[in-house]
Amino acid sequence: MATYQLNSSSDLIENPSPRCACMLVLDTSASMFGQPIRELNSGVQAFISAIKEDDMAACSVELGVITAGGKVTEQLPFTTAMNISQCRRFVASGLTPLGAAMDLALDRLEERTAAYRKAGVAYYQPWLVVISDGVPTDQWQAASARARSLAQQRKMVVMPVGVEEADLDALGAFSTRPAKRLDGLKFREFFLWLSASMSRVSASASTTEQVRLPPTDSWDSI
Amino acid sequence: MALRARVVTDSLGKTRRLGKRLERGGEGEIFALQERPDVIVKWYYPEVLDKRGDELRRKVEAMRELRDAHMTRDVCWPLIRVFDDEHRWIGFAMYRARGVRMGFLAHALLYQRYFPGLDRRHIVGYLLRFIEVVQQLHRAGVCIGDYNLNNIFCVPSTQEVTLIDCDSYQLRMGGTFYPCPVGSPDMTPKEHQGVAFRDIVRSPRSEAFSLAIVLFKCLMLGRHPYDIVGGDDPVRNLRRGNFAYGRGQRDVPQGAWYALWRELPESIRDMFVTTFTVGANAPSRRATTAQWHAALTDYRQRLEDGKCSRELTRPSAQQTTQVLHAR
Repeated sequence: MATYQLNSSSDLIENPSPRCACMLVLDTSASMFGQPIRELNSGVQAFISAIKEDDMAACSVELGVITAGGKVTEQLPFTTAMNISQCRRFVASGLTPLGAAMDLALDRLEERTAAYRKAGVAYYQPWLVVISDGVPTDQWQAASARARSLAQQRKMVVMPVGVEEADLDALGAFSTRPAKRLDGLKFREFFLWLSASMSRVSASASTTEQVRLPPTDSWDSI
Repeated sequence: MALRARVVTDSLGKTRRLGKRLERGGEGEIFALQERPDVIVKWYYPEVLDKRGDELRRKVEAMRELRDAHMTRDVCWPLIRVFDDEHRWIGFAMYRARGVRMGFLAHALLYQRYFPGLDRRHIVGYLLRFIEVVQQLHRAGVCIGDYNLNNIFCVPSTQEVTLIDCDSYQLRMGGTFYPCPVGSPDMTPKEHQGVAFRDIVRSPRSEAFSLAIVLFKCLMLGRHPYDIVGGDDPVRNLRRGNFAYGRGQRDVPQGAWYALWRELPESIRDMFVTTFTVGANAPSRRATTAQWHAALTDYRQRLEDGKCSRELTRPSAQQTTQVLHAR
């Protein structure tokens, strides 16, 4: 943790790119065991590689990962993509404390944007992506109200994605936009779309305007 | 899905095969043209053509009438009408820009990879060339409007600069006004903030403000003039004329940025301070393109004569502290 803070503070000093914080909140509960967790892991790796291939995005996107599987784990504190060497592989186990995971994610996003302002670093609207295959098993209503209100104020883009039998209504409550259902286990397609979206955001000269995102038809289902 | 080469036709009905898709932009896609590596084709999206096809075509036609030999070399100007295989207008062909986006030059961590050996002389050289192209456009009554470092290409180890994405430029032709319908608030002067881009009438004074941001970002290796410690977003700071590097200011971001600033000649610093403080509110106070050209020409001479440091302070080379910012 200490090393991370040291790195990140010099990074905010040396790297002039406006930042796009992207927090992934991933359901890694027991129901994700087997093929789903394998696809999720390889999707996250593909995401990191794709971002790193685009130098502008690699300097701009800061990725954070929190998992909810049995307990809430901060797998990757916010790190500029160019400085990520690898991300841990996640193991599926336990229940789905998604409410607590989202609360932690919102705290971390608030801290990060405060650090940007303190360092004089411009930033795009941060992204909060939440992916789950079920229903939250803890108290999640307060966290969802908090996330939705930030999305309403356009302070954050909240993107809920449901896998297989996910409760899309519960996931959709975290955002102003309805939750999308992943077509089968197309995690890879989803994460490639996410990296294309991040590339588009980080190529934008505007930190205050909405960016037109690529179509989602490669991964979502009706 | 079967892959087939896309075919387009020119106005004489001659068919041409498109090569690789090079870019997907907001309004359309850019394709290479087979057998002509120096030419590319902009193909507007079908939904864009449905909605604004006639308007776009009229503007592109007006631009074609305006072209001259200089313009087509320095600016990727629409040259040839392009139609699909059913002879519907879908866009235009233009020369392909060479070089690297200026966004990679104006970046403390990336410039060395894309512009090996870059020093201040080279940056000033590109900027002078850029100003000359802008002046040439202004003389023809054209305004860029949407200033964006990703639309300016620089050829490493030369002083060549080429502008791309010109079909958005503002122009007047035969009594018709064609606005620049795009832009970004971070590069837009105060008097045009909050106005729909297509309703803005750009002028050399408004252009001078956006141009000064491009100059600042290049000379300051990627810093936006309105990045301020503890401040708001750059657009709010811009609206208030809240520029950190002026006299008696303390909100310069930490790092080598202030050292980079101090390396600039006083005349250039003064022009930035005036343009970004009082000039934010009063367009007539902004340094003009001609004044920038003169000041940078003088700076280049001083760099050539060894009177100023050519070296670029590297942000990591120096662990600066708050002391540097205190005045």
